[in-house]
Amino acid sequence: MADFELVAPATPEEAIASLRTGPPGAVAVLGGGTDLLFDLEEGRSAPERVVSLRRLPWRTLEWNGNALTIGSTLPLRTLENDPLLRARIPGLHSAVRAVGSVALRQRATLGGNLGRSAPASDLVPMLLALDAEVLLLGPAGERRLTVDGFVQGSRRTALGPAELIRAVRIPEARPSAYHWQRVRPFHDISHMAVAVAFSPSARAWRVAVAGFPPRPLRVPEAEAALGSARPDADAVHRAAEEIARRAPIVADHRASEEYRRQLVRPLLERAVDATVRGGR
Amino acid sequence: MTPVAIRLTVNGRPESLVDVPSGERLLDTLRWRLSLKGTKEGCRTGGCGACTVLVDGRSTLSCLTLAREVEGSEITTIEGVGRDGTGARVQEAFRAAGAVQCGYCTPGFVMALTGLLKERARADGFDALLEDLGGNLCRCTGYAAIVRAAAALRPGTGAP
Ligand SMILES: Cc1cc2nc3c(=O)[nH]c(=O)nc-3n(C[C@H](O)[C@H](O)[C@H](O)COP(=O)(O)OP(=O)(O)OC[C@H]3O[C@@H](n4cnc5c(N)ncnc54)[C@H](O)[C@@H]3O)c2cc1C
Ligand code: FES
Ligand code: FES
Repeated sequence: MADFELVAPATPEEAIASLRTGPPGAVAVLGGGTDLLFDLEEGRSAPERVVSLRRLPWRTLEWNGNALTIGSTLPLRTLENDPLLRARIPGLHSAVRAVGSVALRQRATLGGNLGRSAPASDLVPMLLALDAEVLLLGPAGERRLTVDGFVQGSRRTALGPAELIRAVRIPEARPSAYHWQRVRPFHDISHMAVAVAFSPSARAWRVAVAGFPPRPLRVPEAEAALGSARPDADAVHRAAEEIARRAPIVADHRASEEYRRQLVRPLLERAVDATVRGGR
Repeated sequence: MTPVAIRLTVNGRPESLVDVPSGERLLDTLRWRLSLKGTKEGCRTGGCGACTVLVDGRSTLSCLTLAREVEGSEITTIEGVGRDGTGARVQEAFRAAGAVQCGYCTPGFVMALTGLLKERARADGFDALLEDLGGNLCRCTGYAAIVRAAAALRPGTGAP
């Protein structure tokens, strides 16, 4: 690994200044480091300066009625252990638990998961189904994007120069579930995943799928097919067919297209059933 | 660029380390600077759990952690875990269950379980316990004895 300067600013303003004044293209942001350290070791990233976010006051979690705002540097394990999360947003609780292992989640952050925006991210599909927003802070101040607008492709995001993810806002708690298929059930990468939520305010379903490149995405036709708060087996079947028809599912080194398409129906059935039952 | 000195408390002992390069991982600090070879390197990519230590009481993968990122923290490794009541109980449970064969994974498992007990996360049943140990790999035991040791430490998990 090439040597680099490691700085840990104490305020967001200093962090942004440090990103701005660094050699262009040669500054990297460090959250928990569970992705970045790998890139550094592999030489995929060779920054001259690394700006660590560890001292920023962003390790926060705030319920505001039914809305939840999660600071970008909060360790995922702390989010998972929040006493209200599991009851209020069960799908997000499951999705967080799907990321790596306990010891990985003690350092890994939501900001890092979004910053990376991997096609197989377990958090992005759930955030899509929750209509979550990303709060960004940069040299020009704050801005807000939907997660859908923020994630642009495999490892590509709408993050501007010297911009940081400050927090993620989930506008309302929703009955929800996250189901996935992998070789090992825990501590492995999802081949295919389905995130489902029912919005009590919009009386509408949200369905997102992930696991294949380039990025997780919502399938509005499947959401419409589910229809009512308690869809019957036929409706779920139709929704699964819509996903299989519309989602640009492809093969990669982890799984074939055929296999992924076959996973859609059982995963969706389980996720919808869990959402309706209020279980996992 | 300019390597700096950092302070850590390791197994209760204050350590001042000089010339720590930015990219130095906690795993290497422990094994090579401090000669604490109990912490193992398995994969160096976060996949096996052999390098698990406690950072301020929380289980952490030392291979994915920069030493300078945990400056000022209290680190506990397998060499020091028995000084603490919880850690000593975990070690004894492993002994009693015969959960050690070659022993390469054992420090990681002991640290991971000690972290779980210290965190006092809700006991969600046996499945959740297995999920919580999913980041630690063992190539020898077939896991049965390790799971027995873990189950013995978390009464009420409904373990067989
Ligand atoms: C063994 C292993 C297993 C894994 N399993 C899973 C899994 O099952 N599911 C899954 O989704 N992921 C998984 N991951 C990937 C990774 O752990 C997660 O994506 C994690 O959430 C990344 O968070 P971090 O804080 O460690 O990111 P970092 O490594 O610190 O950062 C990742 C990227 O985001 C940028 N970044 C970080 N924070 C911010 C911020 N606040 N603002 C702007 N940019 C930022 C960084 O510059 C970097 O490009 C795994 C990784 C490993 C090593
Ligand atoms: S050596 Fe750290 S997880 Fe394998
Ligand atoms: S006892 Fe040998 S790897 Fe677990």
